[in-house]
Amino acid sequence: MAQVSVSFTVNGREVTATVDPRTLLVHFLREELKLTGTHVGCDTSQCGACTVHLDGRPAKSCALLAVQLEGCAITTIEGVAGADGMHPMQSAFKEHHGLQCGFCTPGMVMMGIDIASRHDAPSEETIRSELEGNLCRCTGYHNIVRSIAAGAQSMRG
Amino acid sequence: MYVGQAIRRREDDRFLLGRGSYVEDITLDDPIAHAAFVRSPHAHAAVTRVDAARAAAMPGVLAVLTGEDWTRAGNGEAEGVWPVKDMSGADARTVNRPFICVDGTVRCVGEIVAMVVAEDRHQAQDAAEAIEVDYEEKPANTLTARALDADTPLVHPAHGTNEVLVTEHGLKEETEAALAKAHHVTEVVVPTNRVTAASIEPRCYMGHHDTVNDRYTVWTTNQAPHIVRRYFTKSLNIPEHKLRVIAPDVGGGFGMKLYHYPEEALVLWGAIVSGRPVRWVGTRSECLLGDTHARDHHTVGRMGFDAEGRILGVKFETLGAFGAYESQWNASITNAYHFTMLSLAYDIPAIHTTVRAVYTNATPVDAYRGAGRPETVYQVERLIENGAHEMGIDPLELRARNLIPPEKFPYQTAIGITYDSGDPPALVEKARALANYDALRAEQAALRAEGQWMGIGICAFFDMAGAGPVKMMNDLGAKIGCYDVASVRVHPDGRITVFAGSHSHGQGHETTWSQIAADRLGCNIEHIDLVEGDTDRVPMGIGTWGSRSLSTAGMAVYTAADRVVAKSKRMAAHMLECAPEDLDLADGEFTVKGTDRKLSFAAVANASYHSGDRPPDLEIGLEETSFFDPADCTYPSAVHLCVVLVDPETCAVTLRDYWAVDDVGTVINPMVLEGQVHGGLAQGIGQALMEECAYDPESGQYLAGTFMDYAVPHAEDVPSFGLDSHFTRALGNPLGAKGAGESGTIGAPACVCNGVIDALWHLGVRQVTQPMTPKKIWRAIEDAQRAQQ
Repeated sequence: MAQVSVSFTVNGREVTATVDPRTLLVHFLREELKLTGTHVGCDTSQCGACTVHLDGRPAKSCALLAVQLEGCAITTIEGVAGADGMHPMQSAFKEHHGLQCGFCTPGMVMMGIDIASRHDAPSEETIRSELEGNLCRCTGYHNIVRSIAAGAQSMRG
Repeated sequence: MYVGQAIRRREDDRFLLGRGSYVEDITLDDPIAHAAFVRSPHAHAAVTRVDAARAAAMPGVLAVLTGEDWTRAGNGEAEGVWPVKDMSGADARTVNRPFICVDGTVRCVGEIVAMVVAEDRHQAQDAAEAIEVDYEEKPANTLTARALDADTPLVHPAHGTNEVLVTEHGLKEETEAALAKAHHVTEVVVPTNRVTAASIEPRCYMGHHDTVNDRYTVWTTNQAPHIVRRYFTKSLNIPEHKLRVIAPDVGGGFGMKLYHYPEEALVLWGAIVSGRPVRWVGTRSECLLGDTHARDHHTVGRMGFDAEGRILGVKFETLGAFGAYESQWNASITNAYHFTMLSLAYDIPAIHTTVRAVYTNATPVDAYRGAGRPETVYQVERLIENGAHEMGIDPLELRARNLIPPEKFPYQTAIGITYDSGDPPALVEKARALANYDALRAEQAALRAEGQWMGIGICAFFDMAGAGPVKMMNDLGAKIGCYDVASVRVHPDGRITVFAGSHSHGQGHETTWSQIAADRLGCNIEHIDLVEGDTDRVPMGIGTWGSRSLSTAGMAVYTAADRVVAKSKRMAAHMLECAPEDLDLADGEFTVKGTDRKLSFAAVANASYHSGDRPPDLEIGLEETSFFDPADCTYPSAVHLCVVLVDPETCAVTLRDYWAVDDVGTVINPMVLEGQVHGGLAQGIGQALMEECAYDPESGQYLAGTFMDYAVPHAEDVPSFGLDSHFTRALGNPLGAKGAGESGTIGAPACVCNGVIDALWHLGVRQVTQPMTPKKIWRAIEDAQRAQQ
């Protein structure tokens, strides 16, 4: 298959690559850039383990082709922590035991950051509703909801 | 003290920063080839032709392998970990799950017919699609309830029946007599739905053959890597000492990742044949189809009560699903892990059960969180619930009248198992208070007067966890020793590495095992590292399943650490010129009691390796190993209580409140404990209301192959949970720990379903099968109202 050239930024870094056009963004991130924090859990964009930020909004990287992203800015779980340590949302997940096996966690954190950016003090009801695109099988969501609420509060400062 | 504290998890940072290392994340120096599989599209068919010629010539293809190749290579057959004999004493009609179709017949959708190994995943998939397979379809049955009907097609015709084995347990005559003399007998058909664990990480395996050293390595999404190593001796005839099995970070297991799966054996075989490391990553569809399914018991139960609502006896007849083949542990699910717990938290004088395990043309069934006990609790509790309503006794009051009183512990159940400790009435009282039960009943009555349907669900149960001891589990059928292992290695600088035969795939062992070790060793938890999941680094292990790791591997850590303390005290006593008994070890220092003479643990560790000035009979080094065989199983107990609202317009169920009160014995980390209960509850709620591995009964086609079809609960489908606990000490291990991994999943299906029945009882509804979907509830109400007219 003819290869296609594409350029975008990932975690602030310029990336230019020549890819098979059927390459999914998630596979490009994981296999070409070795950013393996973004996971594939379902292939049909139900589980949200592959959630990244695309130009600042959450997107499921298993449902995007790498060649669609010319000029876009991608942020993955590897790109959210600051030089001085974890992002407040990451810290909140640790403090409130919002993760167990860790597989859905990157997607949950990426979604949590987005929820916090769009809701001033998200209620439990809001957080549960906003998580309609993310599945977790370990936590029963109880502590994920608490983590996102606390992370949102920390992000407000 | 670290034990008992909600220490934040030490493993979390790597997961939160995106640095977890799951099987799919691992890279090797050699380029990794990919496997893809050709799977049966039919529930039952003869495979009349497999033509791989076109596929073999496609770009990037390194190998195409079929059942004929498997047989020609001299590869072996699967073997059960927990086979059970028929009650007649004869061997069960066991047909183990094949790794690849070798006998020309496929017996369920998804059975593997051929494998392609290619340079990349797309090439492997393209080539797999180019393999031509001809099938002649045969009649099939996917329904467990129909498996023994006279006109049902046979899955394995050579046996002349779909029955695998029959087992009976309990007091047959006493139970019949109890039912005959009962004031009231309740009968309910209580089938449990077929579900699957659906861990968010798909199964994934990678195999590598080092031809220079003749060593093999498998990276696996597995909960018990040493058990995998044991069964590679059967599948590929690889001796245990030549195989390294690594289970790195694993994204949820829930029992489903416990087995030596077909793809695991095939991937290493592909690596041997192709001379390249080979990886397979399951698609979600492959996983929903090929991961073991669970539950799927078809049961009829009868329970007899006296006039005051005391249970006199209970009798069950069960058809227990095997699916198309015997998966490695399934015989234990329909037996040891099922019948043993039929008394739940109740003082029942007579219990009898007959289980007929059966084959159907469906995915093999095996353990999934709870494994046999969710079925047991659902069966018994649905009878109690209906009995209470039929007799006009408040459901919680009827249960209270039947609870095992604390003074009866250790309590021997009528089924023959002895619960070591517990206090069910205390659990019920805590649940009653937590839920404000009397107010809920008043609210229910008020809402019903307004035409709103509110129900209160209840269940109370014991769990059998912590498998061994070795002898007891052997007697129940296990072909593996149910102990566990830990080594505590003190380095010359006083820092410590703990090696454990358990495996953490969400449970947080890096934190909790370190809490145990740090307390025993009197050291800073930051000075401890944990190694699990690597058969070359950990001497032996039985793995994490059945809520067993704390009371076996955790106890091995405890015991090995105590041995290290005893040995280091001898060295320290020599250095401080005192007796070992005169020494205290705390905060990383030995202190001579009653003095200010001190010596650091690090100095003693260094001397243990590097000083010739030592007691003459004290061996060099500071490392101890414990193979811990517990004195007994553990018996955690719990009471669950919930509130459901059923919408009279749509029949949709809203789970408004859920409370659980658990007795898990000693708690190492209450934060981790609560997380375990939360997760289990959500899975149990999913079973009650949403999840089903559905097959089309006519064609045998699988209907739940994506997360659009298989309904894993979302955050909106479950409430926040209210938890409390009550402590009684486990007697079978010095920690006093009972285990907590399965309580939520075991109780929730019964509790939620009882809540729905409680909400609908006044409409005449007596049973709705799981999952209680709006459509089924609507139909049950329609049927009940029609029957009343």
